[in-house]
Amino acid sequence: MGRPLPEQQKRKRFERLVLPHSGTAYNLAIWLVRNEAQAEEAVQEAYLRAFQYFDAFRGENARPWLLRIVRNTCYTLIARNRELGEPDVFDEGDHGEETVAPGAVVSFPANPETAAIESADRELVQRCVGALPAEFREVVILRELQECSYKEISAIAEIPIGTVMSRLARGRRLLEVALDRHVERKETGT
Amino acid sequence: MNCKETTRFLHGYLDAELALGDALAVEEHLQGCPRCRTHHANLRAVQTAVRRHIEHHAAPASLRARLAARYGDEDGSTAASTRRWSGVAAAGAAALLLAAVWIGAGSVDDRSKRAAQLPAKVVVHISQSGSATAALRNLANHLEASPGTTVVVVAHNEGVDFLMRGARDASGQLYESAVAKLKSRGVDFRICGNTLVRLKFDSGQVIPAATLVPSGVAEISRLQTQEGYAYLRL
Repeated sequence: MGRPLPEQQKRKRFERLVLPHSGTAYNLAIWLVRNEAQAEEAVQEAYLRAFQYFDAFRGENARPWLLRIVRNTCYTLIARNRELGEPDVFDEGDHGEETVAPGAVVSFPANPETAAIESADRELVQRCVGALPAEFREVVILRELQECSYKEISAIAEIPIGTVMSRLARGRRLLEVALDRHVERKETGT
Repeated sequence: MNCKETTRFLHGYLDAELALGDALAVEEHLQGCPRCRTHHANLRAVQTAVRRHIEHHAAPASLRARLAARYGDEDGSTAASTRRWSGVAAAGAAALLLAAVWIGAGSVDDRSKRAAQLPAKVVVHISQSGSATAALRNLANHLEASPGTTVVVVAHNEGVDFLMRGARDASGQLYESAVAKLKSRGVDFRICGNTLVRLKFDSGQVIPAATLVPSGVAEISRLQTQEGYAYLRL
């Protein structure tokens, strides 16, 4: 733990290193909690914690550090809301976690079509990414949307790099199948 | 490298997280294995679809203002940070690609910060279709921040798309004009001949601003090992 900085100096440093990442923080939050009001709540709580623990932060790149706090805050918020019995923000069919448990054997169609995946539209991509189980969704979002390196993802999600890779692989495989299947359905009108 | 190893390395390859030697081994295997090639094409398609379509949720202005008021430096912090945001936005926008998708001031700021720390000679590797818009924007930001940098862009694999005549970005702007602007600021664009052959492009389809090199990967490793360039994937 670092020695506490004088208040004014701490604010200046926080403003320079942490405040500029509120956009990134909000974006991650909304993809994790899937609800605008809760994402705002999560970001505000995360900033509160970040400011509290800022004395202990070393270095210049605060983005992974902040995102790690945002991620934790989001999961705490989700768990708290579940306990309070507040309605889940997921649609039933959108949840994913019940339908595909991590590591479960899922029967994949043999050959998803590259062309079918390429023809996926905006709405389909939101739906399929939103339906990924949380542990796969977060690595996909961190990688594709936030452009984090494996090392950064490992620090943010607190998992080893090998797990980052296997979750990304799994997440992309689920997306491959989901995108292919939906495009097919749309084409055949079923 | 066999199929099993390739499958294991494929995501690292896709994300440019492999050491050059491993990347080359994956590439070599892909050349000779149609099954792994399909697998790779599908993963690439998934990545492109997600990157192209996924929604960037901008933080509401009210949230930003609340955070700035609460955690900013107390002397007129909100005004100061607003000024900085618009400065960054203006530099990025004026530099290039007005139509680029704005993904929130946070990440734009990250990028210009990252760009400001780049070394003096840089080879930028573009190997994915659809990543050129962001790469060109980053480059422009970087040149803004450190104008003396020597930059060579090497386009390879699906990354060659933006150097084709008539290629447009997601918002319909011609890449050619963005490339010309960067070229006028000293950026050199090189395109991989092997890729053109493999993807059945004719060299006549390439915009004149780009120079043809026999192999993109060999060019990158030559610049790194013989000319002291730093490698960067934007």
